[in-house]
Amino acid sequence: MSQEKPVIEISDGAAIPTRKDFGLFSAWRIAFFGAIVILIYLVMFKPDPYLRIVRFLPDGILVTFQVTFFSITFALILGLFTGIGRISQNKMVNAIASTYVEVVRGIPLLVQLFYIYYALGRFVRVPDMVAAVIAMSVCYGAYMGEVFRAGIESIDKGQTEAARSLGFNRAQTMLYVILPQAWRTILPPVGNEFIALLKDTSLVSILAVADLLRRGREFASETFAYFETYTIIALIYLLITLILSKLVSIMEEKLNYYGKI
Amino acid sequence: MMKKLLLILLGITLFAQASWARTIIIAQDATWPPMEFVNENKEIVGFDTDYMKAAAREGGYDVELKNVAWDGIFGGLAAGKYDAICSSVTITDERKKTMDFSIPYFKVRQALVVPKSSVAKTLDDMKGKTVGAQIGTTGYFAVKEVTGIEAKSYDEIGLAMEDLFNGRIDGVVCDDPVAAQYALQRSDYAAKLQIAAVLDTGDEYYGVAVQKGNKEVLDLINKGIKAVQEKGIDKELRTKWIGQ
Repeated sequence: MSQEKPVIEISDGAAIPTRKDFGLFSAWRIAFFGAIVILIYLVMFKPDPYLRIVRFLPDGILVTFQVTFFSITFALILGLFTGIGRISQNKMVNAIASTYVEVVRGIPLLVQLFYIYYALGRFVRVPDMVAAVIAMSVCYGAYMGEVFRAGIESIDKGQTEAARSLGFNRAQTMLYVILPQAWRTILPPVGNEFIALLKDTSLVSILAVADLLRRGREFASETFAYFETYTIIALIYLLITLILSKLVSIMEEKLNYYGKI
Repeated sequence: MMKKLLLILLGITLFAQASWARTIIIAQDATWPPMEFVNENKEIVGFDTDYMKAAAREGGYDVELKNVAWDGIFGGLAAGKYDAICSSVTITDERKKTMDFSIPYFKVRQALVVPKSSVAKTLDDMKGKTVGAQIGTTGYFAVKEVTGIEAKSYDEIGLAMEDLFNGRIDGVVCDDPVAAQYALQRSDYAAKLQIAAVLDTGDEYYGVAVQKGNKEVLDLINKGIKAVQEKGIDKELRTKWIGQ
């Protein structure tokens, strides 16, 4: 089983540590431990204002995680259907899926956020968190769609042919034969997108959603401690994405169990 | 002969330089009608804008206006990106720690704007509800003072008013001229909004903020403001922009 599995490169998000990052001084280790040391040093030895900042932020971190988890869930569902739709033989379904991807990838995420919240807000009253999750799911759903499509297309055509000749219909082939094999290729880029999505949630602060960045801005605008506040915010985002990227690389290794990716 | 002429010309231009007016760069967050906002020709206009231009004329200096987002406006002052801020900045003790203020040039109070269907009469009536304000303003601080109200901070007051109009939040707190602008003057908002109350958080005074220790600019601005107040120009501007 030494097939070369194609790798989908999406270069966004923190660099997933590869096997080559050996030794004591890998980039991940420097960034992670450096950030932790700086954070602890600042909070312990300069509690004013750093401790005050750190006390002010936790509910923002919670909101950031909430938006991220809900968005990634809906983006995955949307992405699955979009990816399948893109390779569908049905011209209608294909057109809808392709148009969706084209349009969403053509509008910046920030503009989409504003649009869904303010432009549509005049017609459909949607609370801020819901609007934020909808906008992020719609935007990332398009990118996930491309990931799913590439993953599905990477499965040898022979698999589909064998399944069909055994009597599976299209849906059954997809569900029982293709997707279980494709998910190994799909999962690492999905992990990467997850991290990118978490960083992009910082944009929802523009909708007055009380996420991590918003809380930081509120603190800074009241106390004028701009440098200190944004330093802590940057460190926290960095630590979160570094931890997540480590988890994604562990997952990649587990998936690699049977051979090279 | 030519050399002498050139030297004389050089001398004249050098002297002329010395008498060229000092240009003071003033930052404003032009999203706060009618005090400072951007009109259709993309010019910054408003009460504060005209006030600063009049003060510059009287004080003998030139003024250049910059539109800067409120969120970082004080940071820019501290970093020396501009000389002063004239953007409906209330003089508070907290702010005095990090910047110097001119003499007060305008008095305001905080007002609560609610939908016409609301029966709230004071900020306390809004307990259990969501009230919005612009981030880092005295209006926002006033909302946060009352426990039991969920305070929402917006980048611009216009966004807060839009949310109030769409029913996403239950009230907005801001300076009374701005509240009047939205609740009384702008026909589309005025149809749905009303001013519930003027809050009893006390009188607030606007001042022009300068970098801490910048006495030169502060003196010039104070000179200009005093002259404007003595000549009654500020009353004309009040009638023009605020209508009372």
